[in-house]
Amino acid sequence: MAKVFMKGNEAIAEAAVRGGCRFFAGYPITPQNEIPEYLSWRLPEVGGTFVQGESEVASINMVYGAAAGGCRAMTSSSGPGISLKAEGISYLAGTKLPAVIVNISRGGPGLGSIQPAQSDYFQATKALGHGGFKVMVFAPATLQEAVDLTYNAWEYAERDRNPVMILMDGCLGAIMELVELPEMKTADRAGTKTWALQRREGEARLDRMLTPYFPEAMLEYENTTRGKLYEKWAENDVMVEEFMLEDAEYVVAAYGISARVAKEAILRLREEGFKVGMIRPITLNPFPKKSFANLDYSQVKGIIDIELAIPAQMKDDIALEVKDRAPIYTYGRSGGVLLDDESTYIAIKKIIEGGAK
Amino acid sequence: MAEYKRPSCLKTTPSGFCPGCMHSLSTKLIAEVIDDLGQQQNACHIVPVGCSTLNLLYWKGDIVGAAHGRAPAVATGFKRTNPERLVFTYQGDGDLAAIGLAEIIGAANRGENFTVIFANNQTYGMTGGQMAPTTLIGQKTTTTRFGRDAATTGFPMKMAEIISELEAPVFVARYALNTPKGINEARKGIKKAFELQLAGKGFTFIELLMNCPTNWGMTPLQSLDYMESTTVPFFKPGVYKDKEADK
Amino acid sequence: MKKSLIFSGAGGQGVVSAGVMTAKAAVDAGKYATFLPEYGPEQRGGSAKCTVVIDEDAIVSPLAKKCDILVTMNEQSFKKFAPQLKEGGVLLLNSNRVTSAVTREDVRVIAIPVDDIANEVGNPKAGNIVIIGALIGATGIVSEEEFLESLKKKFASKAPQIMEMNAVALKKGVELGKSL
Repeated sequence: MAKVFMKGNEAIAEAAVRGGCRFFAGYPITPQNEIPEYLSWRLPEVGGTFVQGESEVASINMVYGAAAGGCRAMTSSSGPGISLKAEGISYLAGTKLPAVIVNISRGGPGLGSIQPAQSDYFQATKALGHGGFKVMVFAPATLQEAVDLTYNAWEYAERDRNPVMILMDGCLGAIMELVELPEMKTADRAGTKTWALQRREGEARLDRMLTPYFPEAMLEYENTTRGKLYEKWAENDVMVEEFMLEDAEYVVAAYGISARVAKEAILRLREEGFKVGMIRPITLNPFPKKSFANLDYSQVKGIIDIELAIPAQMKDDIALEVKDRAPIYTYGRSGGVLLDDESTYIAIKKIIEGGAK
Repeated sequence: MAEYKRPSCLKTTPSGFCPGCMHSLSTKLIAEVIDDLGQQQNACHIVPVGCSTLNLLYWKGDIVGAAHGRAPAVATGFKRTNPERLVFTYQGDGDLAAIGLAEIIGAANRGENFTVIFANNQTYGMTGGQMAPTTLIGQKTTTTRFGRDAATTGFPMKMAEIISELEAPVFVARYALNTPKGINEARKGIKKAFELQLAGKGFTFIELLMNCPTNWGMTPLQSLDYMESTTVPFFKPGVYKDKEADK
Repeated sequence: MKKSLIFSGAGGQGVVSAGVMTAKAAVDAGKYATFLPEYGPEQRGGSAKCTVVIDEDAIVSPLAKKCDILVTMNEQSFKKFAPQLKEGGVLLLNSNRVTSAVTREDVRVIAIPVDDIANEVGNPKAGNIVIIGALIGATGIVSEEEFLESLKKKFASKAPQIMEMNAVALKKGVELGKSL
């Protein structure tokens, strides 16, 4: 397979097509516009459908309709648009429909800025909509990872009959780097999706219903089942990179673009003899709890959480695992201001030297 | 003589629609047309939010439940990926003409190949009779206790007229269900819309003028008189657009 | 050896495509590269900037505060980004547009009359190719042949005269870059 020098947003779009996506609906918003632009010509090439919706609200509901019909469907947006999609995402979860939602995130709240940020962590992991559901959240740090995670996203979505979110900052959406594109999956929409409302040749009348509406007792049962699903994720589906943890006295926690900047700083600090490592969640949901819970706290003197978010958000999930066994420091930028290797290096060093006193 | 029987797309569950409410009638008309066309298995009913949601309990056939106002968007995604299916939405005033305005105009303007059936009874039935975009000037509702005042709430929206102004829709018509003649015409109109859809012609829109005796505070018979004297003259029945006939 | 480059100038000077072309040439030559544009709400005009990182190994961070090589195509970008050039770094500037004197003595300065040369070769839009030529001549970050190959691919669908003019622009830039 040849390697291609591609822009992040386009790499995600192509990976979706190769992962079997045959329906996309979306509404323009910076910094994710290359995803709909790319799919507007690419999907028809493979017999798929692209619709530019009249709004994010309409777009997510088009995805809902396509998913109900058994088609691998996707939408993409950025913070403000994801907020608008919240209703539809909740309906997808309620109706138990698979779909992939991409958030190329930017500064918030409100209109915020169109520059990269990681301030949608809470939204993605805690409450993507009403009703207390969860979705798996993938947070790639390289474009290769973005490609691989998008390519396989429907496998999880269909296995669980639940939406999946790809959460990537605008920086990785805009960046170009080398990626290896996987083979095209066969997009057999009839497949084994017995729940989807497709007409199959020679099939008897089925009178099927897909709806998020349930009588109370059944809804309670459904929610209980959902709870068990989330527990299974935590057991089986955690993806995490643990970097130089063996002898680490300080553990950096970062995801996405922040993790790449932090890694550069860690490599430099290691050269100077500082024992620093990193835990990089790839799945933000399920969160790699064990990585933090099982650290050797007789050795670890502190956790340094680095995010493009002020106040830090992932810190809350880390704190639940670390408890009071080590202090948690935070460093980050917000509002669309980016981290850089130099300042991050200095920040980590300051924390370590301050902490050592 | 044709045998009068329960259409095959209606369950035997007793209807929960209020006595005298025309939702029962319109739902039956749609089900009869589907039987006529032999589309029982192929039809997919996009059920939105409002009194129409009760159809989740009475409708027998493939159903997708949609969020409030979003049925045309859901239908777009479903029909585009399942083009062989007969797809229709059945939406009330609030769903279609208030919260779902963007979705209905968007779908109609793209000329999506499905049918929208709009139940216009000038009120929000399920939530207890609040003002709808279609509520008449002076009409009393639970949010316009002294009658709808144009100065602060604007004017009733004539959806069939609005939709017919768009280029893409192929068939747009309004029927009043308060007379046997109107009912028969409505049945024919729904059938025509479905046939056009099955022929791949494009977007079809049927507005059904209906009552809400409960929230109007009338007996069913009084509601028929009120329709004849008040609502029908305002929301005039008729074919507003028929691209195929105009060819 | 990891090298970070900042390309900067006014919108319309081909700064972003210069960054893409350089990164692409490095990738075509078997190296690793990242290209990061700075994006804004304006579609036209304003300033343009992008960061390119080139390395023999996979690139850890595509974000760099300080760069090894700075390319500035106008006065505004020169003033803005000159402080971000590392000590001992290379500063390539368009002497037709950068009017203030370079006060830093800890960097290597390569001043090229980019606009004059582009006009000379008959393609005023080829200024970015001229400065890449100078970049190649001065630093060898990618080879002239490698870049020419990438350039040919990019302009394959355009009229052949354009590619001819670009090739001349590149050559002139390389020569100047080597001599300064």
